[in-house]
Amino acid sequence: MDVPRDWLSSMGDIAKFSGRVIAEVFEGRAFHFFGETLRQAGILILGSAIVIWGLAFIVGLTCGIEGAYFNRAVGAPAYAGVFSAWCDLREAMPYAFGYMMSAKVGTGLVAEIGAMRISDEIDALEVMGISSLTFLCTTRLLAAWMVLPFMYIAAVGAGFFASYLAVVQQIGEVSSGGFFLIFWMFQNPPDLLYSTIKGMAMATVIVLVGCYYGYTASGGPVGVGTATAKSMVLNTVLVHLVGMLGTQIFWGTNPRAPIGG
Amino acid sequence: MVRAVADRAFLPTKSLLEQVGDMMILTGKTLLSAVRPPFPYGTEFVQQFLFMLRLCWLPLLISTVAFGYGAPGLQAGNFLVIFGAIDRLGGFFVLASIREFAPFVTAIILAGVGGTAITADLGARKIREELDALQVLGVDPIKNLVVPRFLALMIVTGLFNIFALIFGILGGVLATLTFDAPLGPFFSTLLSNATTTDLWGSVLKTTLFGAIIAIVSCYKGMTASGGAEGVGRAVNQGVVIEFLGIFAFNYVFTQTLLATHPEISVIK
Repeated sequence: MDVPRDWLSSMGDIAKFSGRVIAEVFEGRAFHFFGETLRQAGILILGSAIVIWGLAFIVGLTCGIEGAYFNRAVGAPAYAGVFSAWCDLREAMPYAFGYMMSAKVGTGLVAEIGAMRISDEIDALEVMGISSLTFLCTTRLLAAWMVLPFMYIAAVGAGFFASYLAVVQQIGEVSSGGFFLIFWMFQNPPDLLYSTIKGMAMATVIVLVGCYYGYTASGGPVGVGTATAKSMVLNTVLVHLVGMLGTQIFWGTNPRAPIGG
Repeated sequence: MVRAVADRAFLPTKSLLEQVGDMMILTGKTLLSAVRPPFPYGTEFVQQFLFMLRLCWLPLLISTVAFGYGAPGLQAGNFLVIFGAIDRLGGFFVLASIREFAPFVTAIILAGVGGTAITADLGARKIREELDALQVLGVDPIKNLVVPRFLALMIVTGLFNIFALIFGILGGVLATLTFDAPLGPFFSTLLSNATTTDLWGSVLKTTLFGAIIAIVSCYKGMTASGGAEGVGRAVNQGVVIEFLGIFAFNYVFTQTLLATHPEISVIK
């Protein structure tokens, strides 16, 4: 019985921690350290943008070829755009973004904050009279909220571009105009908004989990490594759960497709 | 000035290429010492196999059911319901689950859960200088640590793929029930569209994913360095390289399989 009890209690700890960090963001505490927030935003852009877009691009290519072959099989190669539009925008991009966020940003946060914890830098912050939670976690969450919506939309763009390359330039069974006609017809701005909300929900969860595991790391350099590995376990599961819930809430049994009457 | 700019641009590229080369060398050494006698890695292999099994089964179960229900289940189901062809969802699951998402969700979970655990474990041993101690004792770390992990991850990833398939299809079943559709047509289109080529392609793909994960995690763990942050950084870099490698390999493999076996994409 010990293992499930440990899980439940650490879930509760994470929820409490996340509640505090989110509340601090809304109280405007992060603005006391706005310089640090901007610095963290810069680190996110410079350090993570390229790999996130890179993964989005590769996943977009895969969506493109699967769609092209599937539509060829049903005898409607001109409609490959439907598959690309839905696969990229609604499902694949949020997941690709969540995977790369948890790998690059989530574990990075644990390694960074955990190292600060075990070399007693966090205690030093407290001694200096700076709230360490605000300085380390709240600023990072605010930075993520400031930067990531734009990064996410750019990732969707990278995925679209990759699908176009795969379907039109590589497989080449549909003209560029025909592809885009269907592609844009089967999506609209609310779809992009829902997709962005899904991506942002994943990003928020990942940043909070990363901050939690880093902030509570213990047991020397080895402990930081273990905490990093543990955060990745929770993050991968949560990314899939958020993805499923998002699909259920936003698209449920309503396809939002320009078909029928 | 020019030199500073050039350094900033090319040094990361150079170190990346060097690391890729080192990983290739590690792969070669691992393969060689796996087939060359003696074979002292039996016990470690079984331990690692069971360790991976214990660690990954629950995250994988939750993730594949969630993915199968959400992405292919609800989205494709919605589309098919418009045409009154929800019975075709089973056929779509061959494409979605067997060919695409079961393999990569398996790989994501094995990389995120198993790979990070291996990196953290080997990194801890490196930091505590246990690896150096092993070498001083005349024990080859590649033969005794990397080979068993490499083999265990390859086999366990391939087998977990079947597990992921089954639970992915369970997600599809849940989606079918959400649309109040009968399950008989789901299974009949699933089974009539599934081919052996799909299945072996899927298992082969995940086995190779397992090889990528094992080599990258072992390499990053065994080269961890740099104080308090070292092991954490190693885990971080390892999992990023694994994800990029997995998806890049997935694209090439899917493209090759689809192009060389046109019969698997015929809808029956």
